[in-house]
Amino acid sequence: MLPFIAKRTTTLVTAVVVSSFAVFLIPYFTPGDPVRKIIRSRVNGDVVDDASVQSLSLSLGLQDPLMLQYFRWLGRMASGDMGLSHVSRTAVAEQVLPALAVTLSLVVFSLGLAVLVSLPLGIAAGLRPGRATDKVITTVTQSFIAMPEYWVAPLLVLVFALKLSVLPSAGWAGPASMVLPAVTLALRPISYFTSAVRSGILEASAAEHVPAARARGLSQAQAVLRHVVPNGLVPLSTLFAVWFAGLLGGSVIVEVIFAVPGMGRLLFNAVINSDVPLAQGGVVVVVALAVTVTTLADFVHRLLSPTVEGSYA
Amino acid sequence: MNNILEIRDLEVRNLRQHDAPDGGKDGRTAGPDGVGAGAAPLVRDLSLAVGAGEFVALVGGSGSGKTLTSLSCLRLLPPQLGITRGSIRAGSLDVTAATEKDLTALRGGQVGMLFQQPKRMFNPSRTIGQHLAEPLRIHGGLRGAKARAAALEMLHDVGFADPHRGVRSYPHQLSGGMAQRAMTALALAGRPQLLLADEPTSALDKMLEQQVLRLLDRERQERGLGVLYITHNIASVAAFAHRILVMDSGSIVEAGPAGRILARPQRDYTRELLAASQLAPGSRRRPPPAEREVLTLTGVHKKFGAHRRRSHLALENVNLELKRGEILGVLGQSGSGKSTLARAVVGLEKVSSGTIGRHLDERGGKLDRATTAVQLVFQEPHSSFDPRMTLRSSMEAPLLRRAGLTAEARARRIADAMAEVELDESMLDKRPGQCSGGQLQRATIARALLLDPQVLICDEATSALDALTQRTVLNLLLRLQREHRLSLIVISHDMDVVRYMCDRVAVLLDGRVIEVAETQAFFTRPAHQHSRALVEAAIPCRGDHLQSLLHQEPRQERSAGQRPERPAAGEEPAGVSAAH
Repeated sequence: MLPFIAKRTTTLVTAVVVSSFAVFLIPYFTPGDPVRKIIRSRVNGDVVDDASVQSLSLSLGLQDPLMLQYFRWLGRMASGDMGLSHVSRTAVAEQVLPALAVTLSLVVFSLGLAVLVSLPLGIAAGLRPGRATDKVITTVTQSFIAMPEYWVAPLLVLVFALKLSVLPSAGWAGPASMVLPAVTLALRPISYFTSAVRSGILEASAAEHVPAARARGLSQAQAVLRHVVPNGLVPLSTLFAVWFAGLLGGSVIVEVIFAVPGMGRLLFNAVINSDVPLAQGGVVVVVALAVTVTTLADFVHRLLSPTVEGSYA
Repeated sequence: MNNILEIRDLEVRNLRQHDAPDGGKDGRTAGPDGVGAGAAPLVRDLSLAVGAGEFVALVGGSGSGKTLTSLSCLRLLPPQLGITRGSIRAGSLDVTAATEKDLTALRGGQVGMLFQQPKRMFNPSRTIGQHLAEPLRIHGGLRGAKARAAALEMLHDVGFADPHRGVRSYPHQLSGGMAQRAMTALALAGRPQLLLADEPTSALDKMLEQQVLRLLDRERQERGLGVLYITHNIASVAAFAHRILVMDSGSIVEAGPAGRILARPQRDYTRELLAASQLAPGSRRRPPPAEREVLTLTGVHKKFGAHRRRSHLALENVNLELKRGEILGVLGQSGSGKSTLARAVVGLEKVSSGTIGRHLDERGGKLDRATTAVQLVFQEPHSSFDPRMTLRSSMEAPLLRRAGLTAEARARRIADAMAEVELDESMLDKRPGQCSGGQLQRATIARALLLDPQVLICDEATSALDALTQRTVLNLLLRLQREHRLSLIVISHDMDVVRYMCDRVAVLLDGRVIEVAETQAFFTRPAHQHSRALVEAAIPCRGDHLQSLLHQEPRQERSAGQRPERPAAGEEPAGVSAAH
């Protein structure tokens, strides 16, 4: 296990460093001179004289070698100093962290919901494949894939907020306001999770060790509970991590529609306003978190299926 | 006698007779022994009894209904099959009329079961200890520390040198032999009176097979365990069985005391089984191989793993040559490097150092001769074909790379190859799941022949087949070898196969070639100690030897002071049975 952890942790750090370098390079590849942008955002004027550009870029250390700038920047990032937003002139960290908290709670809530729904559905469908239950469950959950969020969200708002007036239509105040965005976000994971659990269970039930367990005196229910379900859920751990990582920065549509002050909306606005420091800070945090989550999922996967040993370590 | 199992007039049928045999959809076969739908019963009029302390062998080719019979005893038939007639009594329990609750006490409690592929019969994500805990709790009422102590004792009893490590091990960390021992411990954990052993050693080499058989025999002698031992290899049980029942197409065709069956079989089928299980050596006349070599291996090393500590030398300084038209046998226990050698010769594995020289004939084509002139026939026929492709598309794939072959020419070649291996052309449109192991193995050979090879490497090509099918496939290989002037490398753990087929024998031990000799000389005077152990484990099982075998002492017992065995990770050393 130890070499496995060491190896995966090395991969994690490498991934973060490499992707942060790409993020660091953003201003060099986007049109326009970043220094002029900064000055323009500070003085609110259109005319920028070359002398002040020169002096500012000197004071910012922009004349130094690229790698030196990068490591300086990485050091500041690591210590939590992500610079100032061009637009709001406030510290990036102060915007990123609350947004991250919002998105995290939204993602945890919606994926938790997805797991709660898809576990029983997937297990029920997988244990009796081809039966009516399986067909209904599969058809319904598969149809979720084809429902885009920008269509589901207004529909839910129409029914639960406007018609029934049981839930707020937008905003971020208390658990009630989380329900509609979380449900919208959960639909597609539900369909993927259900189908993963279903096929996992199908495969696990076909394993020859299941009848062998029954020959030891386990009842059908015991055999399913001990030898089918745990083995059948292994693929879900990986899929969960992929979705978790993806939704951290990818819940833009839902956050915009429901006016949720999360990461997706923050990054969206940062890009629209070409607020480079904000975008950089946000992306680095999201990437670091996403990579960490996937690595954790690898550990969990490894714990659930000990045969993985050979292929990684 | 006090019978602990009594089966009367058993009949097993497929309950869904109208189902079309559906192997194509998911590539799986319908059930054990490839059971398809059909009007005829799969087992019929079967009666047998096993007494306490008795060792009964149920012998038959694949598909004869042996497995169904044993599954019936626990009422664990697949859902589409059912017992339609007859009765089964285990002790005082009427199995055919028993409630689920009674059956739970029966399964693993009164009657234990051993399976063919021990590794696949364990849940890969649970330790051996967690497995053992189940029967100990269900049948012994043991939990916690008591269950743990009992598990340790069980593993010690079946020959684990380090039971503490054993309970912590996951199935994949055990060797084949150790896995079968663990499976034996698991089957015996509920202190059964009867053990159903369904080909528990067919996937093991001869030495390990003898160890498992001795282990069962000891349980039989010590506490009167009754054993119903199912096998396709009549010779393997000759030394242990009291009675032998021969099964063919669902019913028992011959039964009697083991000595009588082995010495004077009445039925042709029994004679065939006997003949197949002891491949008579030297029964063929072959011209001596030409002097010219087609393959030369010089100082071949193969190292796996880049890490200093974890790297493992799979092949160490291997020097071998294969002459044109020769059949070379490569013997060795599992893990000795046989398959690595095969893969290296074909070019699937890069060697770490040394050279493999191919000196091939210029027969026609020039392109990719070097890569296709050496072909490999794999062990597991079912996994060497893509389950989703028809045999035709699988076989056509390598031909598509050949320039200048029209679709017609390809079809003709495939048809010719199928005729060569005596398979009907209609097989071509089936998927692997719809074919039997023997048919698929022929198709594998046909596929290898398509590319007009000069060297054919058979890596345990018949180990997964039952004795009868094995014999026909071996004879097929011999005929092809003769007609096509092929050179063959036959890799096997089965001494009989090697003795039957080969001109020369090379023995591998831990990646090194420890002996190369003419077959005849090798089997009469094996030079190396390990070779002697291998040859001795392949007991010549004839009826007239039975009595001497029954009274023979287990070979090569170690002296009392010596450490009995290496830890579980390695393969078991020769002859160290569980009899300590």
